[in-house]
Amino acid sequence: MNDLWTETGYISLNKTGESLCGDRVEMHGGGDEDLILVLADGLGSGVKANILATLTSKILCTMISGGIPLEECVSTIASTLPVCSVRQVAYSTFTVLHITDNKTAHIIQFDNPATIVLRDGELYDYPKTTSQISGKTIWQSSFPIQKNDVLIAMSDGAEFAGVGMTMNFGWTRDSIADYAVANYLPENSAKSTCGIISDECNRLYGGNPGDDTTIAAVRIRSRHTVNLVVGPPANKEDDTRMMNLFFSKEGTSIVCGGTTSNVVSRYLKKPIVASLDYSDPEVPPISAIEGVDLVTEGVITLSKVLAYAEDFLDAAKLAPNWAVQKDGASLIARELFENATDINFFVGRAINPAHQNPNLPITFAIKQQLIQNLTDCLKRMGKHIRVSYF
Amino acid sequence: MKITICIGSSCHLKGSRQIVEELQRLVAENDLKDQVELAGKFCMGNCQNGVCVTLDEENFSLKPEDTKSFFENEVLKRLK
Repeated sequence: MNDLWTETGYISLNKTGESLCGDRVEMHGGGDEDLILVLADGLGSGVKANILATLTSKILCTMISGGIPLEECVSTIASTLPVCSVRQVAYSTFTVLHITDNKTAHIIQFDNPATIVLRDGELYDYPKTTSQISGKTIWQSSFPIQKNDVLIAMSDGAEFAGVGMTMNFGWTRDSIADYAVANYLPENSAKSTCGIISDECNRLYGGNPGDDTTIAAVRIRSRHTVNLVVGPPANKEDDTRMMNLFFSKEGTSIVCGGTTSNVVSRYLKKPIVASLDYSDPEVPPISAIEGVDLVTEGVITLSKVLAYAEDFLDAAKLAPNWAVQKDGASLIARELFENATDINFFVGRAINPAHQNPNLPITFAIKQQLIQNLTDCLKRMGKHIRVSYF
Repeated sequence: MKITICIGSSCHLKGSRQIVEELQRLVAENDLKDQVELAGKFCMGNCQNGVCVTLDEENFSLKPEDTKSFFENEVLKRLK
């Protein structure tokens, strides 16, 4: 096993006036496991397209991850999809991005715009072969992956952005590829890559997409560990043991909570330098301790991080506040959602006498619940999580 | 002179931001930026009361609405 990690993200824009999207992305695996991502675009729009795309993506995802040969998968779809009463065909285009053993990318494409592959920020022209399966022309490619490869699949709504409005013939796949290269930064997450392209599609459509538009990206990156400590241990004698374990881990270190910061400051023999900079009025200011990457207040900041996490998992939200803001919650959100692949939580169970005031909305149960909900969200983002209690 | 305001969780909920902003405003209004330094500090361990504020090692417990009288009665008096 190598140090590579597959990160995924997608964004769909619905055709104006439709509440259901006719494109569908289905995923299985990812992280350090094999990944299958299927982007299907059903014929037409609305409910009918949504059903076609859902069936196609779900069937392909399940069958391919079960190791069934592609011929069988495609013929299953051909004989399963309901026939459209208007057009007398059963039809959904699809793109399959399949990463195996953290080593090889397999791309299978049928009638979607060709997947864009960026290698170190440059366009990578991967080999393609065509074959006929159940009367469909299927493109297949396989190539070894490298760190910083980005695979971008899209539905034709992206290509046609701006047809007859801002442009005569739409945006075309090649100009999307140029745009992706021009906006490439090694630190862009899979989801922000999708956001950059779908925002531009939306702009070209004048804010009213004429077709369902979906961008899905797979980014090959290296693993990165973040360690977060919150709360002092239940027994004061465990302070040193908790700190030893926390600081022995490789990766970024985040300390949450005032009392916890005091424990860290004592352990490192370095002072806490607090700022009074309220860049978000709801979030207490951050501090600094030499030897720690980020020091913030505890429960209020983490509640905000949880709210950001829930927003982030809602695929419809585009530009989140936390991507640019400088308050403690935004800084933690960026570190956990975008940079981290593995996160270790060190949770102290000490009861803070300050929080036992009935007028204050913080109780120990709330703190436990907060960590539980946050780790659940992070797991849904595909992160490896470990929680240790002290 | 140094005024330290607690920015920990419970003081935050009790209004430390309003106190910080009010003090920043009062210090600027009275042209005291060279003489008064404002700083933040995490939990000072006296959370059961109001927002913890220390003025040259002496502890105070403030509510946001007390800020002005604190500034006039304690800060300005000591500077004279």
